[in-house]
Amino acid sequence: MSDSLSYLLMAWLDPSLLGLTALGVLGGIYIGAIPGLSVTMAVSILISFTFSWDINNALALMVGIYVGGVYGGSRTAILLNIPGAPSAVTTAFDGYPLAQRGEAGKAIGLSTIMSVIGGIMGTVVLAGTAPYLSDLSLQFAPRDYFLIAVLGLLLVSSLSGKSLARGIFAVALGATIGLVGMDPVTAQPRLTMGSMELMGGISYVAVMIGLFGVAEALYQLHNLAKVPVKQNVNKIVPPLNMILKFLPLSMRASLIGVIVGALPGTGGDIASLFAYDHAKRSVKNPSRPFGEGAYEGLVAPETANNAAVGGAYVPMLTLGMPGDAVTAVIIGALVIHGLNPGPMLMIETPYIFWFTVGNLALANIFLLIFGLTGIKIFSKIVEVPKSILIPLIVVLCVVGAYSINSNMMDVYWMLGFGILGYWLKVFGFQMGPIILGVILGPMLDESYRQAMSSVGDQGGQFLLSLFTNPLSLILSSVTILVLLSNTPLKGWVLARFKRQ
Amino acid sequence: MFKPLVTSIAIAAGALAFSGIALAEYPDRNIQGTIQWGAGGATDNVVRSLTPYVEDILGTTIVLTNRPGGTGVIGMNHVMRQRPDGYNLLFGAENPELYQLMGLADFTYDDMQPISIIAQGLVVIAAPADSPFNNLSDLLDYAHEHPGELRMGGTGAGGLPSTVHAMINAVDELDVRTVTFGGDGPGITAMMGDHIDFMPLSLAAAGEQIRGGKMKGLAVLTKEEIDALPGVPPITEALPNIADFLPWGPFWGVFVRKETPEDVVGVLQDAYQQAVASDEFTRFLRDYGAEPLNLNGEEAQQYLDNWQSVTAWSMYDADPDSLKATPEALEIPRPAAAKTKAAAEDEAESEAAAE
Amino acid sequence: MSKHIERVQPGEKIFDWLLLLLSIGILFEAFRIDGGLKLNSAGSFPVGLGLVMLASSLAILFSHRYKRRAEHLHHAAEEFQAFIRDHFKPYIVVFSVAAILYLAAIVWFSFYLSTAVFLAAMFIFLRRGKIISSLIITALAIGAIYALFTLVFRVYLP
Repeated sequence: MSDSLSYLLMAWLDPSLLGLTALGVLGGIYIGAIPGLSVTMAVSILISFTFSWDINNALALMVGIYVGGVYGGSRTAILLNIPGAPSAVTTAFDGYPLAQRGEAGKAIGLSTIMSVIGGIMGTVVLAGTAPYLSDLSLQFAPRDYFLIAVLGLLLVSSLSGKSLARGIFAVALGATIGLVGMDPVTAQPRLTMGSMELMGGISYVAVMIGLFGVAEALYQLHNLAKVPVKQNVNKIVPPLNMILKFLPLSMRASLIGVIVGALPGTGGDIASLFAYDHAKRSVKNPSRPFGEGAYEGLVAPETANNAAVGGAYVPMLTLGMPGDAVTAVIIGALVIHGLNPGPMLMIETPYIFWFTVGNLALANIFLLIFGLTGIKIFSKIVEVPKSILIPLIVVLCVVGAYSINSNMMDVYWMLGFGILGYWLKVFGFQMGPIILGVILGPMLDESYRQAMSSVGDQGGQFLLSLFTNPLSLILSSVTILVLLSNTPLKGWVLARFKRQ
Repeated sequence: MFKPLVTSIAIAAGALAFSGIALAEYPDRNIQGTIQWGAGGATDNVVRSLTPYVEDILGTTIVLTNRPGGTGVIGMNHVMRQRPDGYNLLFGAENPELYQLMGLADFTYDDMQPISIIAQGLVVIAAPADSPFNNLSDLLDYAHEHPGELRMGGTGAGGLPSTVHAMINAVDELDVRTVTFGGDGPGITAMMGDHIDFMPLSLAAAGEQIRGGKMKGLAVLTKEEIDALPGVPPITEALPNIADFLPWGPFWGVFVRKETPEDVVGVLQDAYQQAVASDEFTRFLRDYGAEPLNLNGEEAQQYLDNWQSVTAWSMYDADPDSLKATPEALEIPRPAAAKTKAAAEDEAESEAAAE
Repeated sequence: MSKHIERVQPGEKIFDWLLLLLSIGILFEAFRIDGGLKLNSAGSFPVGLGLVMLASSLAILFSHRYKRRAEHLHHAAEEFQAFIRDHFKPYIVVFSVAAILYLAAIVWFSFYLSTAVFLAAMFIFLRRGKIISSLIITALAIGAIYALFTLVFRVYLP
């Protein structure tokens, strides 16, 4: 126990580890904020860079970047409506309207506090329940991932605004975009129209940058003459009673985040979508209607995506299996440094586990410090005249889209989706459902086919399996309940019930 | 926007110091390296651990970029479109050798110049820890009695599991349900949750899980037991005829465009030979479950040809319908040694026809 | 978006018909993957999604039955004029064309050169003059991009 404690405090007491964690968090915030620069990319560059370093130093820097990066995505989402990373898409739904009301500073302040709460909660759950949580996550069979994806698709009703038909069209369009490219099972080209460039699919970060960034920039051209909203930067740190008011919601969102994060194959992007949906369903009287600058709509996804970081470390540290793309690269780093990430990692090198836990906690402290400083300058970005901001946004989008894969094709797609997004916006479509489709489409396709193959392609067997396994039964019951509550059927059932 | 600038300049200064002094002749600037698989995968791990040694020898920086997608088609296509000046390297795995066969692209490694075949991975057929099977023979017996019932993890057409499955089918019969995953990692996770019954995996991905008792090895794809997995029988114990295909495994290599000047190719070949041979990297490879090869020039070409011929023909013999082109049409010679079930039948037929 | 839900925006009907066409196109492409509808194959999901898109775009078109043009627009020609007036204002057209030219220019010239020209031209155009300050902002932006992407992250820009 005393050993664990000393490993836990290692990063706190060693000045060089302390400094590297701080540097990582600071760098991570800006990497996360710039669309196209991803934490995955930064960490994999660091592998070569830190090759000759001590493993602890390398890990401290990587943990810092990871924590800072997941948070940083919210900055540009709030200020410019360009989510810096897919996990910040939901933050833009209410964060950007807040900035348009002159509350950018307050929104960033709130998102910082909530990210830290989420991050700490994720770390606590990681430290306390890692072995149990990883056992639980292994129980999820392909059919359960299928049910999760279906449940995720039902979020469309809370994201589609006024017209459900438009929302459903947008989800299907997004999912179709997600399926373009080589079929993962048979290697057949799908919807590529014979193009070699499309074999690898359309990068969803490019789609995201286009739909949010470029579409918004084109849309804002209409308001060129409008004087930008004056930002109120006096109240940045949200008052204590506000934090306390949102604490129950942030606790629930953290739990969603850490569990979704712990499932190998789902990460912060899906966690934040679920958390947003949860907030929308559970909060009866939001501070403002969702989508128009509700604080709750900012709190839930921001806690969830940072809690997912702790969750993603669960399968990595206990089993050597990645919980998401970033932990996959960190596993690579451990391998290159001569460690053996696997089930024996916790037994042979237990200090890695406790060191990471302590380091994550430390990184969240730095997140609080760095997140709350410099907000005033950042908020001023919204006050920059549109005539300067819009061309800069276009250039930032181009650089961002290009740096995903160093491929001009992604840039063209980004522009294409920007123009499409502009027209969709004009005619009352929401961007959220499209991204929902892009993220969940491939997961739905893959898990469905895995589940079908597992039962020998028998449709009846497949349906049966959704109800005969305890975990699947829970998931399918929840799915059916949500489906019922979203359809006119609910009113009908309630009406009959009342009559009796 | 000012704070990041200051930090970035500080880091940038550091990065510049790292890049060393440029030489007058090749290489006189940064080299772009394209990895055809994603970050954190086996190819990525091998390349990123090798690169620092090569950078030291060449005295330049190799800027690594992952361009995954389409079983590596995207990355390879990119390098083949760059200038053939030796400043664009492709780091790839075995998959391009099968592109034409699978109808994925109209090029293979034959259209590039190998710089180094770095290493070959070992393959193990693994099952969950509580599996009723203790070796491949048990599993084959069960599969013969209950065809189409066992669930095998796969990584899609042309992936390692499908090739191993094809090899087994070329000498025996293994009728299973294939459940396709995005890679070794997701497959292993599914196996630990008992959602599949077995999966052929690279030792690099599965070794630690087997050592940790979360999975067990049914057979290694070698002729003899290996040190890394004591007690796991070689596949030839259950299937003696498969020996003709061995040694076989996934490999990693460095390639440039065919038109690259000879002296540049020479510089690169020497640098990679030296780097792969270094003690530290060799140790890394062995720990990682891979066999160092360090081949270049004629030897590398021979290795590639042999690999292609063995793999293509075993896939063809197992299930010709799964391929978009026949190895014959692509002028891939049948491996001299391999005597598969189908080959024997073909011979019997042609003998009968001759009579 | 619009305050009167029952009013269609200029061009909305045409756009929704185009979406129907897109759905049919996707459905057609999806059918070609397997050459038919199968329960578990590469084409099952694309076909399914194509059908969903078709159904929802029909639903969108159906909803137009209850909607009318804005009162002051009496016939299609006027609606078309309103559409052009709203979305093809000269500076929007110029900016969009410049953005497309910029992307093309990146491939032909270098990234930094075309970015500098694009930024400077757009600043001067959108701000109607103020040449000196526009050039200074351009230089600052290019410097920031160079430091961040080329030096720190070593992203290979075209």
